Amino acid sequence: MRDTMGLILCGDEAIPPITDIRAISALPIAGRYRIIDFILSCMANAGMINVGVATQSNYSSLMDHIKSGNPWDLDRKNQGLTLLPPNMSRVSYGTIKGNIDMMASISDYLHRSQQTYVILSLGNAILNVDFKKVIKQHIETGADMTVIYKDLKGVEDSELSRFTLFEFDEDKQVVDVEVQPYYPKVTTAGLGIYIMEKALLESIIDECSARGDHDFVKDAVAKKIGKMHIYGYEFDGYADRIDSLKSYYRNNMIFLNDEVRRELFNPHRPIYTKVKDQSPTQYGANATVENCFISDGCLIEGTVENCILSRGVKIAKGAVVRNSIIMQDSVIDCDVTLDHVVFDKEVYVTRGRKLIGQESYPLAISKGTKI
Amino acid sequence: MVQKQCVAMILAGGQGSRLGALTKSVAKPAVPFGGKYRIIDFPLSNCAHSGIDTVGVLTQYQPLELNTYIGNGSPWDLDRNHGGAYVLPPYQKAESGEWYKGTANAIYQNLGFLEKFHPEHVLILSGDHIYKMHYGEMLDKHIKSDAAVTIAVMPVPWDEASRFGIMNVNENGEIVEFEEKPQNPKSNLASMGIYIFKYEALKKYLTEDENDASSANDFGKNIIPKMLENKEIMQSFSFEGYWKDVGTVHSLWEANMDLLDESQPFDLSDRRWIIYSRNPAHAPHFTGKGAVIHNSTITEGCSIYGTVEHSVVFGGVTVGKGSVIKDSVILPGTYIGENVVIEKAVIGSDAIISDGAKIGVEAAGENPYESPMCTNDLVLIGNEVTVSMNREIARNSMIVQNI
Repeated sequence: MRDTMGLILCGDEAIPPITDIRAISALPIAGRYRIIDFILSCMANAGMINVGVATQSNYSSLMDHIKSGNPWDLDRKNQGLTLLPPNMSRVSYGTIKGNIDMMASISDYLHRSQQTYVILSLGNAILNVDFKKVIKQHIETGADMTVIYKDLKGVEDSELSRFTLFEFDEDKQVVDVEVQPYYPKVTTAGLGIYIMEKALLESIIDECSARGDHDFVKDAVAKKIGKMHIYGYEFDGYADRIDSLKSYYRNNMIFLNDEVRRELFNPHRPIYTKVKDQSPTQYGANATVENCFISDGCLIEGTVENCILSRGVKIAKGAVVRNSIIMQDSVIDCDVTLDHVVFDKEVYVTRGRKLIGQESYPLAISKGTKI
Repeated sequence: MVQKQCVAMILAGGQGSRLGALTKSVAKPAVPFGGKYRIIDFPLSNCAHSGIDTVGVLTQYQPLELNTYIGNGSPWDLDRNHGGAYVLPPYQKAESGEWYKGTANAIYQNLGFLEKFHPEHVLILSGDHIYKMHYGEMLDKHIKSDAAVTIAVMPVPWDEASRFGIMNVNENGEIVEFEEKPQNPKSNLASMGIYIFKYEALKKYLTEDENDASSANDFGKNIIPKMLENKEIMQSFSFEGYWKDVGTVHSLWEANMDLLDESQPFDLSDRRWIIYSRNPAHAPHFTGKGAVIHNSTITEGCSIYGTVEHSVVFGGVTVGKGSVIKDSVILPGTYIGENVVIEKAVIGSDAIISDGAKIGVEAAGENPYESPMCTNDLVLIGNEVTVSMNREIARNSMIVQNI
């Protein structure tokens, strides 16, 4: 896998208010992690030694999280992890309108990298995939490009419409692609991860930029069908991407499911994150916790049910918190009632307050709010 | 070469045999403590917060785990270009080679290491105490008083003073007399085994001591009395706060229980004095439906489905449905099945307690597993021991093999 590099595209999609202060890939998830930890760890676990993280504009929090790449063992003398803010002089018209522009803005880095293959991924995927197997299939099939997909059989059309859907022939070659169609024809959804030779990616970027095209799938992949061998790699584990508050909420709560939690935190392919050296979580004499996923450094004296707690959250006596996601260092004072809320970092709810959201519409509160 | 002002040497020493099965294959400083730490995290973190960036860790018993744990020192910010963390085992020299004979001899054998940094002062620490201390303040006092050595002391209850090395000091805080475990103590200031020496003085006394065949090569027994005899300036630095020697199974258990006691002034969650440790990549802990957790600390990687009362549970532990853990310390990676009862026990790392086992029950007749290491009804289950289904283990037992 030393001959495969990773390129993670961290876009500027917005989930207000929690992405006001950070890129979506830097959103806290599953208590102690950030969204990007999943794809980054998959790449590190596969033994990749050159990973670029391309960013758009809101990248200071991402930079602070990744730093030298040490948690992923990607702080190397040679190559390792590179955070790539855009070089706008490489982008036609000087504005980023799509992922082609994003990649064009960092084409110097791509050019400099020495690997033969590249795994291109969006920075908002939640999954734990073994890239060694994917590369193996890519080479064995002699594909020009491999797309990772999952069959979402039984999923509602409205959910399928969030994805890029690929249609395959019996050899798993792509015969058609539709980006977020309103009426889906198939259930095989792309996970936003593509494998190809680096030279091919560079030529696609060059070609698209020269024509004024912006979108990797619509302008490149779709037009290459039939002209290139594009194969599918079926992934049958848990996979989703985060693109809305609803999917953010759901992809946190999924960690309360024993099966999914064990799969995503597979001990053979651990998910790494920045270490904060928090002390163990303390439980008081009257604490009640049921079905929760709780990070270190919390102090729990109240009642918590079906919740995801980040590091350093304090829940005082008499408080009742249900079905909620509480990010780092938020403080819930005595006798507060919360249901279906998403708290960004350092939210402070004073004594006796009551905040109720709905499962289909969780109540999201921005960082540092005092209620 | 850049000269260092102060280099720390941690005496991570011997086996720590009073910890019984816990130190069968690891040195005492690598024994887990406080939910996610190891004992040695405390002196190392204290060094990091005190601005001491060069630390030698002297060890000669089962070094593998300690070596792996310390690594390049990065968890404690001790991965430095100049300085950093070094594990210093005894080694073969041109003329001879020998084990560390005593605390003073261990430092003597590593004078070459100290010479490399040529520090002005050397801080000597032990690797088996739990406390938070700003060594920088002690160093300031040491430099200001121009002492040859400064020794940290703390007041202990008078009735326990005869168990310690007691320092008698004058009104300026200078040490005028040292008594090892006196029957009738004149003061209650106990030595904490923390010394700062002027490097030149240390070198001189260690070399003289080495040449004295009758010496036990020990700081407390030989070096300090010798310096007193020679009327060197010896200063005391008094420490107030939590300090605990965790040399026995019971004191280790007790120090863990202290963390659950709000009246104890020892707070690991203080972000101004973080205790750093090497973190395994564990997910947050999961508390299942029906889990009950009171007065306890739980850390990352645990899955709790049963009841945990007044206990310290380390990373990666599973507590199955219907199990009840009380007043216990569960070390990392241990699996506890369903309907297990554990009362007042220390369960070693990566142990397996099978369904229905009962640990800490009243002995029915003669107890063949009774051990002098396990006092006050405490039970100790060794690392990687499997306790079979429905097995009952009586109080005061130490289990070292699968049972």
